[in-house]
Amino acid sequence: MRKKRWTIIVSFLAPGFVLYVLFIIYPFLSSIRYSFYNWNGVGPLIDFVGLKNFAYALFSHNFAPFFWRAILHNLYFFAVTMILTSVFGVLLAYLLVAVHERTSRWFQVIYFIPMVVPPVVVAYVWSMYLEPNYGVLPQLLEALHLNALNVPFLGSAGLAIPTIAVITAWAGMGLPILIFVAAMINIPEEMIEAARVDGATRFRTFVSVIFPFIKPTFLTITTLIFVGAFGAFDYIFIMEGTQAGPNYATDVIGTLFYRTAFGGFGTTAQSMGLATALAFLGFLIVMIASTILVLLQRSASRNL
Amino acid sequence: MRFKRPYIAYIILLMFAIVALYPLVDMVFMSFKDLPGIVSTPFSLPTKWHFDNYSTAWIQGNLFSYLINTAIVSVASVIIVIFFSSMAAYVIARFEFRGNQLIYLMFLAGLALPIQMMAVPLYILMKQLYLLNNLLSVILIYSASGLSFSVFLLVNFIRSVPKDLEESAFLDGASYFQTYWHVILPLIRPSLSTVAILNFISAWNGFFFPLILLNDPNRMTVAVGVLSFVGQYSTQWNLLLPALVIVILPTIIVFAIASRQFIRNLTAGAVKM
Repeated sequence: MRKKRWTIIVSFLAPGFVLYVLFIIYPFLSSIRYSFYNWNGVGPLIDFVGLKNFAYALFSHNFAPFFWRAILHNLYFFAVTMILTSVFGVLLAYLLVAVHERTSRWFQVIYFIPMVVPPVVVAYVWSMYLEPNYGVLPQLLEALHLNALNVPFLGSAGLAIPTIAVITAWAGMGLPILIFVAAMINIPEEMIEAARVDGATRFRTFVSVIFPFIKPTFLTITTLIFVGAFGAFDYIFIMEGTQAGPNYATDVIGTLFYRTAFGGFGTTAQSMGLATALAFLGFLIVMIASTILVLLQRSASRNL
Repeated sequence: MRFKRPYIAYIILLMFAIVALYPLVDMVFMSFKDLPGIVSTPFSLPTKWHFDNYSTAWIQGNLFSYLINTAIVSVASVIIVIFFSSMAAYVIARFEFRGNQLIYLMFLAGLALPIQMMAVPLYILMKQLYLLNNLLSVILIYSASGLSFSVFLLVNFIRSVPKDLEESAFLDGASYFQTYWHVILPLIRPSLSTVAILNFISAWNGFFFPLILLNDPNRMTVAVGVLSFVGQYSTQWNLLLPALVIVILPTIIVFAIASRQFIRNLTAGAVKM
């Protein structure tokens, strides 16, 4: 019987385990290994350079400015998507649990639809809207005589990142809204009633009763958005190209990594070793941030 | 929590519903216009409905092959994720053995790894396995990366249901496999359908790995195929828009069929976050 139990455990775990080890764990470990070599992706790994790739990414005159600018852009991108998603996500979830359930479900379905649309389609539809000459938005602004606001959103260095962040938030809002709704449904009605009886306003009730209750969920969403923001690639690549224009104004770790690994860097030759070092630094940031966020989330749910 | 006068709530909800849907609905209407109509009168309905936009885009865009490839990738990776993750989750949630927690943690760690950062070793690995320009490469990557979230979800779900049903199945002489097949799988159906939909959507929409692994036009998925289509017909919106509409139809249909159930499962705690 004992022996049989082990056979079951092994045979049930094996398919998933093997797949996961082969295509997640093993690549992760080889990624670390490659980062210690000067290597262009072809031929054997022989030119061991120690931490030189890391030093090159972090401190060199040629490359470090790209790296740090990309990190800043990722953080900026995170901040904008996070603010938009939390403000509108919480507001909409709050309204969704307060209205009639059947109608609420219809709205939830509608809010989720943009998530179902591929990024390529989202990117092109918005590029078309924002096209400076005949796009819908410029035409609309012109008709309203708001010419001052009529700027090339995707073509100006200052506005490109926030614009793409808004589009990302628009497209990715569905899941956070649902997760907030799931958290708010579970708030006991008595707690809110009690606050009401004590004369608390709606806003006060939200701050002192509802928010502490959804805080763990809020931190989960923050983690998801942080991981997402540091993985940002699709929209930037499609709307601004490999060079993350204008003049690298939208360059993030994802696009910098892509150019370093798969070419498109112009003068600098592609380097798989440097790219994996870059990827590892990206990992590190995401790992540290998500560990902190998960610990915060644990303590927030314990305090409930 | 209910409002006494919910009108304002409804107005705000409706406004956001319009924000969410307008670009997509607009895209469908515009796809039936001719090029001058798209550019000069973007806000009006088409004066003449150009259904020929669709036939031209369909033929010139190689869309059929992109759609078939994407369907193969999405369906295959969803099936793999469903079976592999539910089997693993059953063992992790119900069997006590040495290394149980370690294996669970290993699966969870994947949640914090942006998989595209592993593009270099994965590219090399696929090259060594002779899987470049083969749909299997993308299927394997999507299945493996889908496991983390799925195992996490299913382990939590299985732990939250009482063991009674399984125990009575054992008393009736069922084997572990029969218990998994006849008791566990039906029991975790709500979570499994959530897993299936989320993985289907992300496989269908996936961009990065098809971009670096599938360069042969006959092997491309829609996300990358449309990109090359745009390269050729950059400003011919009357051909691009129908292509974009065709590309989103399958996911919209899948979601339309499953949406009510999906939303109910998510908000009713099939996902604990």
